[in-house]
Amino acid sequence: MSLAFSSLPARSIKPSLRICQTSVRYAGRDAPAGDPRKEILRRVLYPSNLRNKSTPTGTWRSDVGRALQHAIPSVQAHETIERAWLLHQRHVRRKREAELQRKFEKMKEAMDELYKLDNHLYIEANRPEDPRARSAKELELVKGLRGSERKAMEARIRGLFPRELRVPTDTPSRLGWNYDWQPIRPTSPS
Amino acid sequence: MSALPRCSSCRPRLPRPKHGLIRPRCLATEVSSGSVTIPAESTPTVGKVKIYDTIRTSVILNRSPFLTRPLSRFEQAFYAYQQRIQRALHNPFPYEFYFKQGSLLESKFNAEERRRERMAFGAPFGISESQEGSENKSQNAKESVAEALDREEEEKIPRRGEADRTNDVRSLERKGERNLYLLLLKKLDDRQVWRLPEGGLQKGEVLHESAERNLLTECGIRMDTWIVSRNPIGLYRSSTSNQVSPRHIFFYKAHILAGQVRPDGTNVLDYAWLTKEEMEDRLDKEYWLGLKDILSDN
Repeated sequence: MSLAFSSLPARSIKPSLRICQTSVRYAGRDAPAGDPRKEILRRVLYPSNLRNKSTPTGTWRSDVGRALQHAIPSVQAHETIERAWLLHQRHVRRKREAELQRKFEKMKEAMDELYKLDNHLYIEANRPEDPRARSAKELELVKGLRGSERKAMEARIRGLFPRELRVPTDTPSRLGWNYDWQPIRPTSPS
Repeated sequence: MSALPRCSSCRPRLPRPKHGLIRPRCLATEVSSGSVTIPAESTPTVGKVKIYDTIRTSVILNRSPFLTRPLSRFEQAFYAYQQRIQRALHNPFPYEFYFKQGSLLESKFNAEERRRERMAFGAPFGISESQEGSENKSQNAKESVAEALDREEEEKIPRRGEADRTNDVRSLERKGERNLYLLLLKKLDDRQVWRLPEGGLQKGEVLHESAERNLLTECGIRMDTWIVSRNPIGLYRSSTSNQVSPRHIFFYKAHILAGQVRPDGTNVLDYAWLTKEEMEDRLDKEYWLGLKDILSDN
């Protein structure tokens, strides 16, 4: 977030944050006293533009100047903090990129060596996995779709991430790690 | 290689850099089971027989972090600073829209909001309790009831669990914010070494299939694993005195999603789930140097 404070000293912030005031002020009435048609007309033609509460959207809080003075130590301090943060982000980014570069180099080395060693294995390793291409396996599936076990067994699709990969959370799950996982064996068709 | 005549279609052992293309491997006769005993130089299926001796696949089984990365002190301070600025500048919250007037939730929200204001800005902000008169007392009563209810609901599970306190390296719940990798304690010619799960290549198998088979053989089938891709992520060339030819070990990355390692105890004696630094302590120097750039730092 960038604040345009460079031209103003820290004290005289008031003028730019004053709540805007129009010339004619219309109050809003909740309970229609007289004829409802009159009230509706009045509400439509002269809507309330009193901004004395801090609830309407699109405005600052009523003590925004004071709050901001408590939040920001000074203009120079704010700019220093911004620069420190950007520097920190640069370090993090460089470190991440360096790690990715190292990993990529290792992958490239492995693939180059595989190319030299065996052509068939190399071609198979480079074959792209299309998650939609299920033609050969699907035919088997159509036969064995009765059992839910078989369906569950085929739920892991090559080329897609499994849905059991958890997103990291702030606290661990209540159930903990599932140590008692059993593989689902396909039952013979009887 | 001795000075035997080689057919022109046979691929040389090492590619000559002068040629632009590496010639394709000669599609020679089927390798029968007895051909392993034939000396290597005599048949054109040299390379194919040797492939199954030289190439081995290994799996880097990773338990990815299930906890978010802890923030450094600078990051925490910066985020708190930005929150204070945001609180000073944002639109006033339309609380009348979200909370019904006079409800318990509204009083709870007001109490929490006053506390947050006080924490963000300091003394003049956030109304102190000794301000109003009798009407505040009923409101205070409401707030205390709301807070009492709230305290019953919130029971956060601590980030550092049992496994962290006892430093149980076999547990998969240790060090939730780090990547853990599986190491196996194997018997290797009356030595005990820590290695990744590893195995050889079989006929008709592709590398990633062999990696999966070797993993399940060495670690048991009571694990839900997922090998990420068909590509190997790294290579280790081991040239120890025991083997005739240097071995190529191709690493594959896999994730463990559920279950645990249950070794059969014949070749694999023990296992451990370790972070990158802990692995360095247990592995041989050469093996570690070949492996360290493949692993994630986190």
